[in-house]
Amino acid sequence: MTGRAVDGQIVVSSLTKAYPGFNAVDDLSFTVDPGRVTGFLGPNGAGKTTTLRMLLGLVAPTSGTATIGGAKYVDLQQPIEVVGAVLEASSAHRGRSGRNHLRAICIAAGLPLGRADEMLELVGLGAAGDRLFKGYSLGMRQRLGIAAAMLGDPSVLILDEPTNGLDPEGIRWMRDTLRDLAAEGRTVLVSSHLLSEMQTMADDVVILAKGRLVRQGSVSEVTASIAGALHIEVRTPQPDRLVDALGPLDAQVTTAADGHLLVTGATEDQVGEAAHAAGVPLHRLAAATADLEEAFLQLTHEGAEIR
Amino acid sequence: MKLLRAELFKLRTTNMWWVFALAWVLTTGIVLTVNCFNAHALLKPFAQYVSIQTHGHETVATADAAHLDHLRSDWLLGHNTITQASTIYTSGQLIGLLLACLLAIVLVTIEFQQLTATSTFLTTPRRRDVIAAKLGTALIVAGLAWLVTSAISVVVGAIFLHQQGYPTHLGTWAVDRSILLNLAAYLLWALFGTGFGTLIRNQLGATIGATILYLVGSGAAGALFTLLNTYVIKHDWVLTAQVVVPSVASTVMISPTKTFDQSPAPWVGAVVMIAWAIGSGVLGVRALRRRDIA
Ligand SMILES: Nc1ncnc2c1ncn2[C@@H]1O[C@H](COP(=O)(O)OP(=O)(O)O)[C@@H](O)[C@H]1O
Ligand SMILES: [Mg+2]
Repeated sequence: MTGRAVDGQIVVSSLTKAYPGFNAVDDLSFTVDPGRVTGFLGPNGAGKTTTLRMLLGLVAPTSGTATIGGAKYVDLQQPIEVVGAVLEASSAHRGRSGRNHLRAICIAAGLPLGRADEMLELVGLGAAGDRLFKGYSLGMRQRLGIAAAMLGDPSVLILDEPTNGLDPEGIRWMRDTLRDLAAEGRTVLVSSHLLSEMQTMADDVVILAKGRLVRQGSVSEVTASIAGALHIEVRTPQPDRLVDALGPLDAQVTTAADGHLLVTGATEDQVGEAAHAAGVPLHRLAAATADLEEAFLQLTHEGAEIR
Repeated sequence: MKLLRAELFKLRTTNMWWVFALAWVLTTGIVLTVNCFNAHALLKPFAQYVSIQTHGHETVATADAAHLDHLRSDWLLGHNTITQASTIYTSGQLIGLLLACLLAIVLVTIEFQQLTATSTFLTTPRRRDVIAAKLGTALIVAGLAWLVTSAISVVVGAIFLHQQGYPTHLGTWAVDRSILLNLAAYLLWALFGTGFGTLIRNQLGATIGATILYLVGSGAAGALFTLLNTYVIKHDWVLTAQVVVPSVASTVMISPTKTFDQSPAPWVGAVVMIAWAIGSGVLGVRALRRRDIA
């Protein structure tokens, strides 16, 4: 291994999970740093949940490693005092109260029972703590999940689609909570299938499609690069001359079925000016879409076609 | 130790424990009543027994020969204060042991049925330790169930026997041994249930499977091994080999008399039970350690 393990840093290295017939996670490598909210982005089925479960020792990788602060989750002495996790398809017993759910975890982890009450207050479930889990709304369940994850006051938080099914107020609460936790110096890794949500919540993003890494970087870098990857649609009576004129821009040009050109790797301004300079008339010049979310889908869809 | 405390806490904080407690107490109460009535009749002289069993319609002189033979063989088997004391003090054993097995199964399978396995294994990634704590819990609860059901049966049964003018036989080794073997059976079935539940994590599948194995296992084994003995291998040891079926092994272990003509010594039953329990437990834990929790 290279370098020293950084406290609270998540390192995923050549991680692969094979299911019969395909790789749900395919040679995936990325790192997540403390003090920031990192969005783990990808469409449904991209392999986010599988990756997070491998990171937490719940699913065995086919190959590769995933470590937290240099250690595998299963090797941590007091795991929930290092990592807190809120996962999909994780639940409490329907017939047990939220408070007792948390207390059972405290007992198993050797934490004082009072932590259960403190965390219920922290997530705003103080009054509902003694009600049975089956009576909890989706939002309350997510809050209980956060409370459970925070019991051990961990320096790393891992959340799988925590905003699924939440109302706008719940989403805002989640965003503020996660941002506060990162501001305290914790590592926060949160998965989502919505780019727009991560734009307001995350500092960094790791984008995944069909089990493979598509992009990693700060939100601003990645959104700029996604925007740059937009197709520009150009219609001209002289396509060959336009292709020549775009030569110096180092852009990719393809011809669509109905005869217009699709340009990637250049902005609308650059294409317009190059055409003007070469005296090529343009009948249409437009970004195929101005919608970042759609560009994200397109990007992850292309990722999908790599294999 | 903290895991054992956590498992006991988890058991206490849902309504499951009192469903089981109620089932144990109810079956004990009902079977105890029936056993006392039976003892009342069986311990009478044969003539009175015939009268009681036929509700006064027949006497030894009037009953037809076949019926009388049938009654006599029952009476001969049961007309013994030691047998009756043993039976009364272990009232509810048949269902009680099944409940111990089912409780152990449910302790494990509930984690998958209620989707709490993720939370449990995040808190304790060493899955074997979790199963060990569940085993400890199952043994403690099975032991408690034995204690409570035995206390009810012994107190009520001893008063009944004494009041009927028979010896209570508390302190008679054959009777005390039955009570202690009952405890051993409770613990072994809890051990077996833990292994079985770990192996078959589907709650409905595991509980129904175990119940069928327990309730019809003996009958099916009897028929199968008798067929084998009659048509394939005509040796007596084939019949003795029935003891490999858990429910047969359990009966062989706890019954004061031979369960069937070729049945082996009680300790063989105990060994078979332990082998099943450890075998299923080891296989179950090995499978669980590799299994993905999704
Ligand atoms: N146990 C499994 N067996 C087979 N395929 C699975 C299993 N779990 C997940 N998958 C598949 O792996 C892919 C990735 O799933 P998942 O990690 O849940 O994606 P995401 O969380 O990004 O939506 C999906 O195609 C899913 O159907
Ligand atoms: Mg998912």
